[in-house]
Amino acid sequence: MRKFGLTQFVMLAPALGLLIFIILLPSLYVFWLSFTESTYGKAPVFVGLENYVAIWNDRYFWRALINTLIVVNVIVYGELILAFVIASVLVKGVPFRRLILAVVLMPYAISEVVAVVIWKFLLDPDIGALAKAMASAGLPDINWATNPTHGLGLVSLISIWLNLPFTLIIIYAAMLAVPSDLYESATIDGASPWQGFRYVTLPSILPAVFVALIFRYIISFRLFSEVWLLTAGGPARTTEVMAIYLYKQSFTYASFGKGSATGWVMVMVSGLIAAAYLHLLYRRGFRQNA
Amino acid sequence: MIGLLLIWSVVPVSMIVLSSFKPTPDIFTYPPTLLFEPTLEHYRTLWEKWPDFFLTLRNSAIIAVCAMALTVFSSALAGYVYSRYRSSALAGSAVFLVAIRLLPPIVITLPLYPVVDFLKLSDSYTLLILLYATFFVSLGTMILKTFIDGIPEELDQAAIIDGASELQILWRIIVPLSAQGAVAASIFVFVYAWNEYLFAFIFTTTRAKTAPVVISEMMASLNGVDWGLLFAAATTQLLPVVTFVVLVQKYLIAGLTAGSVKG
Repeated sequence: MRKFGLTQFVMLAPALGLLIFIILLPSLYVFWLSFTESTYGKAPVFVGLENYVAIWNDRYFWRALINTLIVVNVIVYGELILAFVIASVLVKGVPFRRLILAVVLMPYAISEVVAVVIWKFLLDPDIGALAKAMASAGLPDINWATNPTHGLGLVSLISIWLNLPFTLIIIYAAMLAVPSDLYESATIDGASPWQGFRYVTLPSILPAVFVALIFRYIISFRLFSEVWLLTAGGPARTTEVMAIYLYKQSFTYASFGKGSATGWVMVMVSGLIAAAYLHLLYRRGFRQNA
Repeated sequence: MIGLLLIWSVVPVSMIVLSSFKPTPDIFTYPPTLLFEPTLEHYRTLWEKWPDFFLTLRNSAIIAVCAMALTVFSSALAGYVYSRYRSSALAGSAVFLVAIRLLPPIVITLPLYPVVDFLKLSDSYTLLILLYATFFVSLGTMILKTFIDGIPEELDQAAIIDGASELQILWRIIVPLSAQGAVAASIFVFVYAWNEYLFAFIFTTTRAKTAPVVISEMMASLNGVDWGLLFAAATTQLLPVVTFVVLVQKYLIAGLTAGSVKG
């Protein structure tokens, strides 16, 4: 067997170096900053847990946290349901499969900025084609600038639109890997399509579903651009999410300590989500093997 | 069903692209018309009023290509080591490689700000290239490891017996046979770097400004957005990357499944 030595260490250096110097060390410095108070041109002063207490007592922090948790769940489960439906159709075989896949993947290549341009235009109450179609169907306008629910709803829609390709490809690839004789025997045994999904497809693709869920939870938790470009957290800070709250604490209010504390709350919540899902995955794995 | 899917993913994009060629009054007709005199007036306005836009497009291209090169280079080396060697230190660093992906990018903007200033890297290509490469080097390494795992190790062994050095094995065997993985990894970085908004918005002001940032400024220059202009800019920004993704979709799918399901 080949031995890991200096040459191999040097080969790892570029990748690990980038991660250590650009992510690990700065994030540890943020950890230190979160126990200090500082602003532009002022050296950090140690204040203990004061920043954490301050954000704990800040109702805007709770608003941002709750908004984030709601939006993240809407995005992640919205994508998952759509991905299930679309993948079950694709997996049965469709004409022009490659073309359809290319089409489905398209939003993946669109930037958040352009996606916001697109949906703002489509839903503009005065000029948007979709808004007018909705109005003639008797549906109310989407007032993202004034109504926080509409604002966050539209943010979720844009985010689902942009990220569905990721979830879909993972679920679709997992479904393709399910042996088709499993379905055949289920059909012979008289299983309905729903039962086929519930008892054949779902158990087989569960690991992939968990992977998609963890990834999407962690990535959506960082949600920034869509909100920033659409509402910038307004009106009256009602549509802020964690990343917007962090940005405002750090750069608008120049309170580096509170910004850093928010950052570590984000890191810890992301970690908890990942840990919870990994735990679930692990337990399920055991139960199935037992 | 397939029809709905088409409407969902293609219609919004094509409306923007089509509208960028419509004379201004036709942009706002309802129901949207497919019959119009195509015009380049919005592209002309874009060229005349926002000449900077084309410079930022060039910035985006340079940054995306360099970030891609740096990521693939570092990931191929690391992926090779993770695929072919075993040691406890290596296993530990693999855990680090996965766990570090938990960290939200916005968290590091605050501490980087003064460092970047000190190193005179503010508003520079170098900074964005390093940031973009860093945030994809984990995924890149996993994708390449998966692809390199698929190359029989007997090939390396035979080369070692023939006296090949580590570099020769990499260059003669691993690189040619894992090219698909490198393509898959490149797509992710390129798309990310070309479209990224958060870092570009925070760390650039003039010299290294990227196209998405300028588009967001056009959108924000309120008191009547010039929609035609905005669509011309959006179309120019999205067409190269959409074409690229559609052309290489096979690798994209391979990369997604290699990087996330197995990693």
